[in-house]
Amino acid sequence: MRDGPEQITLRQWDQRYQQLQKAGIDQPSYGGPLSRHIEDGDTRLLKLRYDNSAAALRLWNFLLTEEDRLHEARDRGKKIVGTMKDLGTVPVMAYSLDNVVAFYPDGAWWIPCVMELNAGLLSIADSLGIDESFCPVRAMLGAFVTGAHFPIPELLICSVGATCDDFSAIAQRLNSLGYPMLWWEIPHRRAPEPGEESVKLPGGFSAPRCQVEFVKSELQRVRKALEEFAGQCLSDEKLSAGIKKANQVRRLLAQLRRLVFTAGLCPMPALEMLIAEMLAIHFCSDRDETITVVKELLDEGKKRIKAGTGLLGADAARIFWVNPVADLQVMNLLEDCGGRICGTEYMFTHALDAIPQDLPPMDALARMALADPMVGSSADRASRICAEIRRFDAEAVVISRIPGASHCVLEGQIIGEIVQAEFDVPVLEIEVPSLTDSIAQALRTRLEALVETVRERRKR
Amino acid sequence: MDIGPEPHVKRVAKYLACGFTAGSRFQVVAKGLTDQGVAQDRLTSELFDRLLKDSKIRKKDVRKIVATGYGRNAVSIADTTITEITCHAVGVRRLVPNAMTIIDIGGEDSKLIRLDKSGKVRDFAMNDRCAAGTGRFLEVVARRLGVELPRLGEMAAHTRNPAAISSMCVVFAETEIIGLLTAGTPAEDIIAGVQAAIAARVMSMIGRKADLPIVFTGGVAMITGMDRALESALGQEVTVAPDPQMTGALGAAILACNQVA
Repeated sequence: MRDGPEQITLRQWDQRYQQLQKAGIDQPSYGGPLSRHIEDGDTRLLKLRYDNSAAALRLWNFLLTEEDRLHEARDRGKKIVGTMKDLGTVPVMAYSLDNVVAFYPDGAWWIPCVMELNAGLLSIADSLGIDESFCPVRAMLGAFVTGAHFPIPELLICSVGATCDDFSAIAQRLNSLGYPMLWWEIPHRRAPEPGEESVKLPGGFSAPRCQVEFVKSELQRVRKALEEFAGQCLSDEKLSAGIKKANQVRRLLAQLRRLVFTAGLCPMPALEMLIAEMLAIHFCSDRDETITVVKELLDEGKKRIKAGTGLLGADAARIFWVNPVADLQVMNLLEDCGGRICGTEYMFTHALDAIPQDLPPMDALARMALADPMVGSSADRASRICAEIRRFDAEAVVISRIPGASHCVLEGQIIGEIVQAEFDVPVLEIEVPSLTDSIAQALRTRLEALVETVRERRKR
Repeated sequence: MDIGPEPHVKRVAKYLACGFTAGSRFQVVAKGLTDQGVAQDRLTSELFDRLLKDSKIRKKDVRKIVATGYGRNAVSIADTTITEITCHAVGVRRLVPNAMTIIDIGGEDSKLIRLDKSGKVRDFAMNDRCAAGTGRFLEVVARRLGVELPRLGEMAAHTRNPAAISSMCVVFAETEIIGLLTAGTPAEDIIAGVQAAIAARVMSMIGRKADLPIVFTGGVAMITGMDRALESALGQEVTVAPDPQMTGALGAAILACNQVA
């Protein structure tokens, strides 16, 4: 193992951990060797490769101890809210209450990958009539039935309306199993019509005032439910403080993305960047710790750039990646094939934008919810992707389809056409199931071909 | 530095093309096929040795070996690997210098490759998850009809009314074929229907229009009538590449030469 930046295996991390300990690494309470997580059944970790920095160690330990953290929060008397489908707005409200912890049960879609199907969550979903023709989010059903992963939330808040059909079906099934849900409606964002007042949303879209007011009224219902749940008032002052804190996370992530995606030599691998971005959604159940984790990653990235060190070759193809992957191994694979991530659209880009702080908080949150690229047209989403491609100077685009996920079927084609019309860069669509072991060669061929194409085009 | 031609050999899991450059001229000196199997590396080595022997090329004269195809990483004697996307583009452009779109349909997968005016790959799409757009569908039909695969084309030429195959899945389509046979549908109509179904699956990769000329490669291109089925589906002219099974290998040989030059 060398001293500089490197991607190492889980077993190599044991050795690295000892090195860091000898060097006097400052560890949080949830720290420790990564290999201990295998005992929880997270056997996929054995096949991944990790960044070797102390910052990455903290990130991974933070992610992999979330379930423990949620259980501990409950033991300490905190109430737990499951915020579903809505990616990044309702958690901001929930975390504005000091006795509430919110998390995103849909995130259970990664459990089948991380546990290499050993937990049987997808089988449980099959038995409930939600089979493999549905999105891997169906693993959430299994997690609720077994109760073996996250603590079952006392309150479930779920957005519906302009949400994907798969998710709606899965959530309705969960509801039918006896889990009460507060449904709130998010309309399909549309452009203002002539004569309608237009409201600018964070991230660049616009919507008519009537839609903002509607979403605000829906979020007022959510606010009231949270107040009753927490037994305390969720005042505008508390909401403003919550927004300010959320924006701290968002600003740090924005800095991290800009730093990593624009660096000459890639200072932070794709896998760690994916995990880091995911923290924006619900702060991995600890808002303050998220800030520390992201700051450390940022500092590590800056240190590496200053030292002129990086993880991948200087000729790595700059790839913009659309949609998160069910199998985390694919992030390693992209880099093995000579690519690096320079730009992402993981379906929650609005959760990376700053929430306006110069507006009344409920207005700001309503605009934020409506700014979600997934609640508007695919063309809208593509326009945002194009802006980021330009910003990060990407040379190719990968659109990763999620098997069974209804929003993906035509979206990839629409996004691909719009991107190609604007930039004439190669666009590759791939499908990534929860475990890609059997199709690894097929995926490798595609990604290698994409990198070859990029490198040939550079010779023009 | 060396005087005279230097042979550059490229090998694929199944095919081998051997080329040399004399100055800037590339020439194929040997090519061959072998059946694919589990022991990819051994099969490839045997083919390599056979071709060297037949063309009287010495192993030590081989400067570079580039492997392509799905089995490329299993070829132990390869110096480097390049994906079949890039290799097909180079090989087809060698044979059809103004080609702009390549449709490659093999036994296990199908590919669409779009080229720019200079012949570089602009974009590509692949299908290797569904047998309905591959030669595997024709193999199933041949087996069900009890005929050899190469005969399918000549049989389909006699069709008067191609059967409509509605299943998107080859497994279910086979059931449909059994039903058609039982109902007395002529074999030629069934084969023509399957050809049309394959062409329709490939259409989903191509989109509404492909840049001309469109060149058809891969083993399925050797089945008579498949080019017409594609033309009918696309509404555009399709040209079968000369030696369509070898375009990937040819491209790899050229790229091997380029790497050494």
